Amino acid sequence: MTRTREHRSKPPLRKPEKPFYFNTSEHLLRIGREQAGTLSQLLQALRECPDDSIFQHTLRTLQEHHFIRHGFSNDFAHWSLSACNEPVLAEQLASVDVHEFTTIEGLRQRMIGTVEEFLQQRPLSADRPAHEPFYFCASTIVVLPTPFAPDSLPGFIDGLRRVSVHSIHHHFIEARLRLKRMSNDFSQWIEEEVGAQDAALAIERIDIYTNTMEGVRQRIARITEQLLN
Amino acid sequence: MKSPQSRTATQDRPPGASAGPQLSAAAAGPPEESPAAVASRAPERPLPSSVLTPPAPSPPPHLDDYQNIIGQAQVDALRFLARELKGKTLKMVNSTAVGGGVAEMLNRLVPLISELGVNAHWDVITGGNDFFEVTKAFHNALHGSPYEFTQNAKDIFLMYNEQNRARMQFDEDLVVIHDPQPLALVCARGKSPARWVWRCHIDLSHPHAQLWEFLRPFVEQYDAAIFSSQSFARQLPITQYLFYPSIDPLSEKNKDLDESVVQKVCDEFGIDRSRPIVTQVSRFDRLKDPVGVVQAYKLAKKYVDCQLVLAGGGASDDPEGAAVLQEVKETAGNDPDIIILDLPPWCAIEINAIQRASTLVIQKSLREGFGLTVTEALWKGKPTIAGAVGGIPNQIIHKLTGTLVHSVEGCAFQIRYLLTHPEFAKRIGANGHEHVKENFLITTNVKRWLLLFRVLSEAGPANK
Repeated sequence: MTRTREHRSKPPLRKPEKPFYFNTSEHLLRIGREQAGTLSQLLQALRECPDDSIFQHTLRTLQEHHFIRHGFSNDFAHWSLSACNEPVLAEQLASVDVHEFTTIEGLRQRMIGTVEEFLQQRPLSADRPAHEPFYFCASTIVVLPTPFAPDSLPGFIDGLRRVSVHSIHHHFIEARLRLKRMSNDFSQWIEEEVGAQDAALAIERIDIYTNTMEGVRQRIARITEQLLN
Repeated sequence: MKSPQSRTATQDRPPGASAGPQLSAAAAGPPEESPAAVASRAPERPLPSSVLTPPAPSPPPHLDDYQNIIGQAQVDALRFLARELKGKTLKMVNSTAVGGGVAEMLNRLVPLISELGVNAHWDVITGGNDFFEVTKAFHNALHGSPYEFTQNAKDIFLMYNEQNRARMQFDEDLVVIHDPQPLALVCARGKSPARWVWRCHIDLSHPHAQLWEFLRPFVEQYDAAIFSSQSFARQLPITQYLFYPSIDPLSEKNKDLDESVVQKVCDEFGIDRSRPIVTQVSRFDRLKDPVGVVQAYKLAKKYVDCQLVLAGGGASDDPEGAAVLQEVKETAGNDPDIIILDLPPWCAIEINAIQRASTLVIQKSLREGFGLTVTEALWKGKPTIAGAVGGIPNQIIHKLTGTLVHSVEGCAFQIRYLLTHPEFAKRIGANGHEHVKENFLITTNVKRWLLLFRVLSEAGPANK
């Protein structure tokens, strides 16, 4: 009985037909036109700013502060507390999980909805001047190859350990916007090329808000190493 | 950035001249002082001979030298980025070859970009004293100081820019003009396909209105402008990029030091490493608020034992600096634990050692450009307390990579808190180091320049 269950949960691994191409993305930061000095201005700017700005202040922030486990997960939340002294809104914005979105538009609408709802409940907060303005920025992204293109699981683990955290972010966080699905490049390759569905799912379930990018790397490495044992 | 005039004055000072470095304890020594206090205070004596003359410059490092710091993956990324730019040409232009932050940065940046296969040059404009007097006034006025902008100033600015334009060649693929002094060189671009970028190192958030209206049409002829902070930028019709200033982790001021070097410097300056050391490194300038630092230390000292080291310069060749130094000494009074060092500008190793020996670092500025002394402290993993002004909030995320303060009292509380919570202090120090590693090292700046070059090259022919 036990043997059968083990057999079902660990199907034989396949030899990958396609290599995993480790890429990385580099970002050039642009200063945007939008600024906000109050929460109502933030709301307006959230509606009008380019997608790149939403990306910058949410997904990119995760990478910029990837070494910190504590603190707010996006710039809007951070500003709501530090400049507007609105801890409730800050917590609500921080709880928006970028993992739930496959489009920037979806993420933008959630941010707008969160601020709108807060201001409906606390209209006096709308036009209270912030201690400092929020400056919207945006990134120009350049995707670069790395020397690592493994076609085996051991090679994948080796590459994973050697690429930069920017590459981890590129394949694990940014990928869902590229793939337009609730997955990431690592899970997709491990499922499609190696045939390890459970491992792919385990990787997808890694919590990016309680791990640093370095922690994400270690977790993925452990999950894939278990496949070899 | 320092003005060309003040830089020149500093450089022109003969090493070891009478206006040179001085070491002074805060206390002048009241007659009733106890023998114990006299014994524990840094003595009134000249600086060690090792710091009286500038050391020979060390050769610039190579890209591979940074591998141990940023990792092979980051070095690889730089090489990949540069691959498509091989053989392309880049010219940086500024107004001085030595002294000041821009020259210091270009000294390191240009060789690294060249090593990556981009044909990079650095040119310096020339001008008479009248030109540099005008551009110094421009510099202050762009920072918001009152200024009477005259036709004569305009004429001098345009005449020297025209002289330099006639003298220089601009055949490169990318031309980068640093700061306002050579701004009008952009008139040379004509119909050439080169890309032109203006790198503005100063805070333009509150410029003198009339002067800005004069300069703005030149800025608008560039393809892009680069600022050091979001808050320094203006609304412009051209793309604006954010390039944080950076430090070189292999420079004398930031490289790792042997413990023996740190100890030797502390011994020479009378700093007791067996007790907590709180340090501010900066010029004796009111905007750095050294008096406020002494006041904060005194408030904190009621609760925690520590020494205060104020290490800086600017008092020997700047009358205002001397006045500020005097105010600091008066505020310090007889406290033997306050050590004030007026160091010459070449004391990079000594500054490095003092920062490394410190328990906490303070940068309690009232106004600031970017605040590279904060970057230096964070790089050394030091828990850092800094004023929430200028570019400092880009470096210090409050309670995560350091602590931000807005008053003497706030600064005093943070000194008390960090000295009594060493685990928290250690954690924010480690975070600060990582933050600098990611964002404020020269290698990150090399990457930004390569990215910008690629982005501008891919944008199609220039259409100005």
